[in-house]
Amino acid sequence: MRETYGKLLPGMKLSDLAGKLIVIEGTDGAGRTTQINLLKPWLEELGHAVLDTGMTRSPLAGDGIRRAKEGNNLGRVTQSLFYATDFVDRLENEIAPALRAGFIVLTDRYIYSLIARAMVRGVDPAWIRSLYMVALKPDAVFYLRVGVDQLVPRVIFSRGFDYWESGMDLFPAHDMYDAFCNYQKALLAEFDRLSTEYGFETVDASPDPKIVFSSLKARILNLLDGAQKSFMSRQVEETIERMTRMMDPAVAFAAQNFVASQPEPVMGNIPRFLSANGNGNGHHS
Amino acid sequence: MDTNPALRVGAFEVLFPVRQNQSLIKPSGDGGYPGRLFIVEGIDGSGKSTQLSLLHKWLEAKGYGVVFSEWNSSMLVKDTTKLGKKKKMLTPATFSLIHCTDFADRTEKSILPLLKAGAVVLCDRYVYTAFARDVARGMDRQWVRDLYDFAVKPTVAFYFRVPLETAIGRITAARDCLKYYEAGLDLGLSDDPIESFRKFQGRILDEYERMIPEFGLTVIDATLPVEVQQMQVRQIAKRQLEGAEELRVRP
Repeated sequence: MRETYGKLLPGMKLSDLAGKLIVIEGTDGAGRTTQINLLKPWLEELGHAVLDTGMTRSPLAGDGIRRAKEGNNLGRVTQSLFYATDFVDRLENEIAPALRAGFIVLTDRYIYSLIARAMVRGVDPAWIRSLYMVALKPDAVFYLRVGVDQLVPRVIFSRGFDYWESGMDLFPAHDMYDAFCNYQKALLAEFDRLSTEYGFETVDASPDPKIVFSSLKARILNLLDGAQKSFMSRQVEETIERMTRMMDPAVAFAAQNFVASQPEPVMGNIPRFLSANGNGNGHHS
Repeated sequence: MDTNPALRVGAFEVLFPVRQNQSLIKPSGDGGYPGRLFIVEGIDGSGKSTQLSLLHKWLEAKGYGVVFSEWNSSMLVKDTTKLGKKKKMLTPATFSLIHCTDFADRTEKSILPLLKAGAVVLCDRYVYTAFARDVARGMDRQWVRDLYDFAVKPTVAFYFRVPLETAIGRITAARDCLKYYEAGLDLGLSDDPIESFRKFQGRILDEYERMIPEFGLTVIDATLPVEVQQMQVRQIAKRQLEGAEELRVRP
């Protein structure tokens, strides 16, 4: 069953959140958006329903955050809480309902970016973590990691330096370049720490986007494959158990032998009570 | 997790002290900031705003630099709260978070710097309003308290205690209709706004009662005449203003 980081929001039922929650994390310019734009159509082609979401996209707080960022008077605690409002609005109204409907949710950033940003701004680490205890634990966090030296050309030749991405609220005395490097370095260090704390899967985001994409595809296939198999084997197990209960013991024994004698398991793991030695040692193979 | 009090992240100091086992909220006044923070709490119709405005006038007449801050009034956050309420988009969690965002903006921009500068700050509703309302809406009690960990502890938190029926009588006499969230209609306690309001405010009253010992709220009997209540409020405030001469603004 799905878990949270420690606290449950009112009305949030964890038992029926069957979909997959996949997080793409990384600093600004790591190529998260590019990858999500490649992953979504690929997953849909494979037959999965996909919801993509990301920071400040909530109907409730998205515009408010954008307006607040236009001025230079957004404090660090206020900023953290405004983003948390945006996050929880999407968590309750988009992410959880999509998971309930069996979707794959691809999210461009999650609580980790918000924690990292708050941390480099000197917010109490315990406070920001207790705030996000209500978040759902994802099935995977892919951390697109790229060094600051590689980040700079990506940013300069795409959209130019941005006030907030350069942490100008923190380094007002520097020019944008120095501010950007210092801020992104601090963020990167924070991400690296969070990676250990929350168990990210680090993906080297320095090569060509196509290579990063193949790496992500392989990892996601692995994740979905495992889920598919365990779902299937649960179905098989339940069906056979139901049938066995109604059967004559001799027939049940024959059925067990028949399944055990098959050279290749058709789907996933063979349920433990049907395993070849039949000793029922309590372990799935 | 790093909880070292001396923790520095890069070049920036950590904003909050590490959480202690006692109160989650830092003190103002003695041992804290030079300013004084007086706040009023109570359910709708308890008469707290009247009392605060009378205190405000008295403090100004005495020559103190007084600043007033109202619940839900941040210019930065206001539009978002308004949108959420108007379109009924708020869940208990986002209701809690957007109000906390509003409070954070007021804390960072006015309450905290003003207290550091030595002003007398008056707040109509404070964190206790959030604790009462959000928990009445089903939020986790500890989570909400942790959320407001950055708040400055008031010098005095006045709680205007009034029986539910008295408050309902005052509110229904003064208003044509109750607002959706104000009446707690989002909780589905009742379809009738008055009945829903009664149930919701009842829960809020229970939370306030619990907070009196927890946070040492100063209880004022709000059924007493306005003048008597104000006399008590001024007496208590006066004691806290002793030794705060530096707060006086020169004419």
